[in-house]
Amino acid sequence: MKKAIWFSLALVLVFSPMVNSAQAAKAIKIGIVDCYSGPPATYTNDVRDAFKLEVDKINATGGILGRKIDFTTRDSKFKVDIGLSAAKELIYRENVDILMGTINSALALAISDLVKKEKIPFFATFSKSAKITGEKGHRYVFSITENTALAGKAGAAGLAKRPFKKYWIAGDDYEYGHALADGVWTNLKQLRPDVELLGQSWWKVGEPDFTPYITAILSAKPDAVIIATGGRDCVPFLKAAKATGFNERVPFFMHTATELSTLKPLGLDGPEGVIGTSNYFFYFPESDANKQFVADFKKAYNREPAVGAVYGLLTAKFIAQAYQKAGKVNTNAFINAVEDLTVDSPIGTVTMRACDHQATLPMFMGVTKKVAGYDFLTATDIVTIPGSEVMPSCEEIAASRK
Amino acid sequence: MEFAANVTFSALVQQILVGLSRTTILFIVSSGLSLVLGVLRIPNVAHGSLYMIGAFLTYTVSNLFGHTLAGFFIALLIAPLGVALISFLVERCLFCHLYEREHLMLLLFTFAFTLVFGDMVKLIWGSDYRSLTVPAFLQGSFSIQGFPFPRYNLFLLIVGPLVALGLWLLTNHTKIGKIARAAAVDREMVGAVGINVSWVFAAVFVIGCYLAGLGGALVAPTQNITQGMDHSIIIEAFLIVIIGGLGNIWGALLGALIFGLTDSIGILIWPQFAIVFPYVAVVVVLFFRPRGILKSTW
Repeated sequence: MKKAIWFSLALVLVFSPMVNSAQAAKAIKIGIVDCYSGPPATYTNDVRDAFKLEVDKINATGGILGRKIDFTTRDSKFKVDIGLSAAKELIYRENVDILMGTINSALALAISDLVKKEKIPFFATFSKSAKITGEKGHRYVFSITENTALAGKAGAAGLAKRPFKKYWIAGDDYEYGHALADGVWTNLKQLRPDVELLGQSWWKVGEPDFTPYITAILSAKPDAVIIATGGRDCVPFLKAAKATGFNERVPFFMHTATELSTLKPLGLDGPEGVIGTSNYFFYFPESDANKQFVADFKKAYNREPAVGAVYGLLTAKFIAQAYQKAGKVNTNAFINAVEDLTVDSPIGTVTMRACDHQATLPMFMGVTKKVAGYDFLTATDIVTIPGSEVMPSCEEIAASRK
Repeated sequence: MEFAANVTFSALVQQILVGLSRTTILFIVSSGLSLVLGVLRIPNVAHGSLYMIGAFLTYTVSNLFGHTLAGFFIALLIAPLGVALISFLVERCLFCHLYEREHLMLLLFTFAFTLVFGDMVKLIWGSDYRSLTVPAFLQGSFSIQGFPFPRYNLFLLIVGPLVALGLWLLTNHTKIGKIARAAAVDREMVGAVGINVSWVFAAVFVIGCYLAGLGGALVAPTQNITQGMDHSIIIEAFLIVIIGGLGNIWGALLGALIFGLTDSIGILIWPQFAIVFPYVAVVVVLFFRPRGILKSTW
């Protein structure tokens, strides 16, 4: 009798993990590593929330290939080591099929290295380094967001149409700021060889007061200024610009100036006439697809979606439709299916280019203005710069990867 | 990028004025830090967190009153008092039991508080950026010889000397100020003559933290009110206190002047490398005066 009990216990112990894993295999598992603490969270929450919205929609209609999508998040705290160990944990212990996330470019590149070895697809959702799909790109990494090279090219294309000659460059003294400024300037120089650079100023990330920088720039009397700053520094820079009347004295281009995360906190105190670029506005494009998306997002989260929401939505769509296209849950078949896949979105159709795994996103250049009906400034006179116009050619990508 | 390419007399005056208004904030925050360092001997790393809480409270209170001039000044009054109240509770419940511990323990303890306060701010206010609008009266700028000078910066230039005057009156002309100065020199002796040192310490700690809250309240309209604003200020405040002389309030004033002015003038003279100017100034000062410019109480 005793023997029988021990034997059956042993049987249960041996087989129970199998039962578990058989159940787990039914869901497609996605791991998100991103910074959810500190200032970057204002951007990353939108990625996760829009992703969840789309995943819930897919699951409600039966999932993909009869499987549900299941995702878990990990907070990287904006630190490369914490994020990388979270990514490892998701791969080895949670056995995720796909990784996505990170607003931190250094972490995106580190995870990219990891997934290359582990052969797990990774979707970079908010990292702006051009290296991710440029020189450091490979089969397992995808980018769903614009990067410094694309933004630089788009900014230069917009500025070249304006009559400015003497420029000043100012920005965050770290990789993003310098890469963005270089991107704008080298492209602008090609389009308009007569432009002249009067000088540059660089400040530290988290600079508390921009007034002395602005007054110093004014004393150089440039025609226009390129501001290469991002994230949390956008808001105080625009405040200082407004307080000093900088925007009325000198026109300036600031890549993310028109984004909701920047303009909403400023309310009606934002400076008018600032030129900015973004992949998305909840009020533009004025298509039915966008209106529907905004309504759904607002219903679920009681706020308007910012640019990150589109990155989250696109990632969910690419994953779901690629599995559908592949017809089976297999990494190689999945990657082949993502390549050249085109999905519908609030910003029109978006294609994942096969040669570099960079999503071809349109860029919208607009000028900040007070518009009736909003209690914050919005972008007006929006010009759409199609993704195909600013993407580096496949030959350039191939050359950079050598 | 030529060195000193755009330096004109009026530009220089302008940079000095802007630098002085930044100095005001730096002085207010670092004088509070220095006061606590001098009297209580606590290297309060959480000072920056209290500054952040001051900014967030100002935002909330000012919004309650709907951006009126009165509402803004009420917020300037209430927010630092709120910070003072928090610091009072923390001091009476926790710090007052730890004064005899070594500095490293106290440092770790206050560091723990930066984490606690940081998460508290995240829980209460969330991770979105906040921006506080100043009343119309303080918006916009004056033109000084063709250069803009924001009205709010002028307001800071008025507040700064007032706070310095208040501190001087407090430390030199009130009983508690005199006791605090005495306690900074020899706390056993002050206790031995029958003064309740514990309550003096509590009062000084609260005043020091009030100054952090005041700095946060004053800086709120010019900044992005967000998590992380505690880190940048605390490093600068410690540098200022160190070059001024640990625990010396007037040292904090001198340190803030050096830090604020080298920063703003550096930006005009050599914009590409402006970041390094205040730090070079710190190195130069410490090279010649390793214990700070004025007499340290340590």
